[in-house]
Amino acid sequence: MNHETMDTQAAAYALGALDGDELTAFEAHLAHGCARCEAALRESGETLAALAREAPPAVPPAHVKEALLRRIGARAPRPSPAELRRTWLRWTAATVAAMLVGGFLAAGFVASRYEARLGQAAREVAVLRERLLGEEAALRASVAEYQKIVELLRDPATRVVALSGAGPSPAAHGRVVWNETAGGHLLVTDLPPTPEGKTYEAWTIAGGKPKPAGVFNVDATGHASHRLDPAGGPVDVFAITIEPAGGTPAPTGPIVLASAK
Amino acid sequence: MATGDRDAFGRFYDRYSPLVYPLIVRIVRERGDADDVLQEVFWEAWQAADSYDPDRGSPEAWIVMRARTRAIDRIRSVRRRSETFVAPVDETLASGPVEPGGNAADRAADRGLVTGALAKLPEVQREVIELAYYGGLTQTEIAERLRQPLGTVKTRMRIALERLREIVGRQAG
Repeated sequence: MNHETMDTQAAAYALGALDGDELTAFEAHLAHGCARCEAALRESGETLAALAREAPPAVPPAHVKEALLRRIGARAPRPSPAELRRTWLRWTAATVAAMLVGGFLAAGFVASRYEARLGQAAREVAVLRERLLGEEAALRASVAEYQKIVELLRDPATRVVALSGAGPSPAAHGRVVWNETAGGHLLVTDLPPTPEGKTYEAWTIAGGKPKPAGVFNVDATGHASHRLDPAGGPVDVFAITIEPAGGTPAPTGPIVLASAK
Repeated sequence: MATGDRDAFGRFYDRYSPLVYPLIVRIVRERGDADDVLQEVFWEAWQAADSYDPDRGSPEAWIVMRARTRAIDRIRSVRRRSETFVAPVDETLASGPVEPGGNAADRAADRGLVTGALAKLPEVQREVIELAYYGGLTQTEIAERLRQPLGTVKTRMRIALERLREIVGRQAG
């Protein structure tokens, strides 16, 4: 493509005036790396900085710097009267130095960004470590749960009951690993997340009477695993309903999963 | 954070705030707003020190660009509010100078601010720089305001920048 178009866009971009599709196109062009446009933008940036330099400098109100230093966690200097003279001398010296070696001061700021980068890296490592610890704890919890299920399955009295989807979630499936004396585990798949303010509640039904067996929610993949306490006797049917968050003592919502009678 | 960082930042602020403060005041016009914008500019510069790339220009150009962008953001949000609550867009455009932050060229001329390199540009070129750089108008908005074809506005901006570069280059050399 003729680079003339890009030269014109670079000028508008430098002035902050490029808009619409042209802005999108030019930024894409820049993202691909264009030495010519980068040089043009650098030149324009310096020209506009020179324009700013033409205006008489004005020292902003002191409260702005104070607020900034507070924000970045620096304490504002509170010199004692005896220190004031030294401070004043230091400031004078600093001002003179600033005039003489302004470039070095800017370089100091540039060097300090590497310190900032190191700090950033340390913070990222801390975040990662935190995340790993969290993942490790979650893995330990799952392993402990699987161990309990395996132990249940070793008991000849344990049975596995299939649950099939009903009502609003026909695609859902479930299994209850059930032992009358030890209780059991409910495992579900393909159950959609509950609506806001709702939860799933498990029920053990004996002689037509449902007994609450705890509330649970599914993860992002539609899976859930829920521990069931012994029901204090034989259970005819296992069922899951949608209930208000926190659960209810008797079912009120639609059945989403149930075992055959 | 290392104290060296803060000291360097303090020096950076002392050196560059007197340069960008007049620019911000010129764009936003309200001192209180200018103080807020200035604080935001240096706060962001502190946080973004990492992103400063010496290959892309001087620290001066870097901070001037940030100050100009934030100041324009401020007047654009004021302008959006006034367009929404005060006057319909077409009326605002027709009335021109009423629009806050809009007609920077008029403002600048009124206040005798057109000096230095800008004053050496032909009127039509100075106008587009004023409207874009200090007034925060986009090329499309400038074309509408001046009732000129978009292509004309774009060409003027490019030539104006080229000439400014020559002028400040000559002054520096």
